Amino acid sequence: MASKRFILKRLLLLVPVLFGVATFVFVILHLASGDPARVILGQRAPQQQVIQLRQELGLNDPVYVQYARFLVDAAQFDFGQSYSVAQGTAVRSVLADKIPVTLELALYGQAIGILLGIPLGVISAVEQDTLTDHFGRIGALSGISVPIYWSGPLLILAFSTFLGVFPASGRIESTIFLADSWSLFGVTLPLTGMLTVDTLLLGNVSAWVSAVMHLILPAATIGIYSMALISRMMRSSMLEVVRQDYMRTARAKGQGSKITIMKHGFRNALVPVITVIGIQFGSLLGGAVLTETVFGIEGIGTILVSAINANDYPLVQGTVLTFALLFTLVNLLVDVTYSYLDPRIQQ
Amino acid sequence: MSTNTDQSTDDGALADRSLLDRLRSSQFLSNLLSNRLAIIGLTIILGMLAVAIIARVSYDLSALRASNLGTVGDRLAPGWAGSGGATQHLFGTDAAGRDIFKRTLYGAWIAIKYGTVTVAASTFLGVALGIIAAYYSDLTDNVIMRTMDVLLAFPSLLLALALVAIFGAGLWKVVIALTLVYTPRFARVVRGAALKVLEDEYIEATEALGATDARVLARHVFPNTLAPVTVQSTLNYGLAIIDFAALSFLGFGAAPGVPSWGLMLSNGVTNGLLTGKWWMSLFPGLFLAILVLGFNLLGDGMRDALDPRMREAVD
Repeated sequence: MASKRFILKRLLLLVPVLFGVATFVFVILHLASGDPARVILGQRAPQQQVIQLRQELGLNDPVYVQYARFLVDAAQFDFGQSYSVAQGTAVRSVLADKIPVTLELALYGQAIGILLGIPLGVISAVEQDTLTDHFGRIGALSGISVPIYWSGPLLILAFSTFLGVFPASGRIESTIFLADSWSLFGVTLPLTGMLTVDTLLLGNVSAWVSAVMHLILPAATIGIYSMALISRMMRSSMLEVVRQDYMRTARAKGQGSKITIMKHGFRNALVPVITVIGIQFGSLLGGAVLTETVFGIEGIGTILVSAINANDYPLVQGTVLTFALLFTLVNLLVDVTYSYLDPRIQQ
Repeated sequence: MSTNTDQSTDDGALADRSLLDRLRSSQFLSNLLSNRLAIIGLTIILGMLAVAIIARVSYDLSALRASNLGTVGDRLAPGWAGSGGATQHLFGTDAAGRDIFKRTLYGAWIAIKYGTVTVAASTFLGVALGIIAAYYSDLTDNVIMRTMDVLLAFPSLLLALALVAIFGAGLWKVVIALTLVYTPRFARVVRGAALKVLEDEYIEATEALGATDARVLARHVFPNTLAPVTVQSTLNYGLAIIDFAALSFLGFGAAPGVPSWGLMLSNGVTNGLLTGKWWMSLFPGLFLAILVLGFNLLGDGMRDALDPRMREAVD
């Protein structure tokens, strides 16, 4: 069992890291070349106006005052308003809109990766050094060598442009309009922002089908990469476990090899794989940025790219901090799960 | 183990260890050479390097960048791919009528050149920081490693994007950003390996004999971190090439027209995806994936050679 002390310790260790992350994000604004006031007002605005806006934004205050203000605001997840990409909208509400989009994509991709990667890894390990294993290994290695911004376009070319099975971009048919909220027993509730969930909540089956059809290619793009990573890890972890003494004991007791592998091997081999799944979630978020760009999905990744292009610093800061926070929390979750599965780690 | 004949130097007794290391490394080399996949990986890398050098020598970059609209048809299919194709363009042409074959080959040069600088720089920085962190007191160690922790708290591509937001776009700026992204990984690996060596008694003995910090670090700690660092560098090479192209794909790396694989793929998505101009996406990506596969094969082989247990058959 994961002890409270262990979780508390991990949470305390998180504080300096998050503090460092926030500091780094603050630094982005101050090291970047453009003057925020200039960015907001445009190149042709009179100097007088720029000076005035700098004053209003508090950019003339000493750096430590700005830093303190930023930390207080960031702790409340308040990054101010977007300069240009989502002009005038609070960064917080832009993020609230876009995070579910990216999360939905990443979760489905991860699900594909786990569901296919774990069995493939187990098969490869059980059939070690057979033809199946060789194919599995080379396939997995190729899977992690293929960049998402290549596998994505190839999938679009094959299944969308030439076969016409799936749509090439977007999240749902443009003719479908969804309500803003749904109600349960007369109570109006907000939607999740994840279309595959929302369409079900609204009871709109044709919209759900459309959302799923739009999600299949992008999720598969991420899933292929994730599957390759997970199956590699699962294979080597299985091979490691199979050599342990308790496996031999189980076999010596007369247990069949298949049962031994599944009962004792699989469970123990899964432990390190969980860590990899967690660590990999980071590259998955990076992958989501690329996938969104390829498939024209308006998520937090495409927003970040537009924000950097437009020098929209509050939006860049908010997005980057969100990504780091998500990543850090997932890692924390992984550590806690790991300590639950393998209590030795707590020492 | 054979006896050591060289007892005359001040740390002669320690030469035993480097002999052992030498034996171990030859074991490493023979393990590596007997690994078929690693050899395939090495062959791919050397082949791609040859392609890169030939392209660099025979093609003029400004000619590759210049638009040929008006003289050469744009988005022509490769000649061998059915009728209507351009026979003189093996991989077809892009939206500006440029030859994709030449550009793809030149892309190998760009990927290898900037990838090498990125990996070399982050290896150097990571080794230096890792060794210093392991050798010096709590404070130095903490300052270095906590900074590394903060950098590791970001998903790597996201950190690279955030750094690009600071530095601005451009190939060399991307190299700097990626160097900062990868350095913490090396620092961690090296610090771990160095701490293990520093626990050994012979380090204490060397210090007792009056060796300076610099000598201990350079002569005893550093060589012992080489093996894990080499594996990490090789595996990181593939990643560096993917991330480097990714930033060009997103529009923050190569300037318009530069035959970087990432930018070519981006052009393929913008100008060829919905119209089915598959050759614009296929070839640059194929070369990129093959090169990365080469590094991953070699890196995997090196790791197996270092830890031969993984190769043993199940009993």
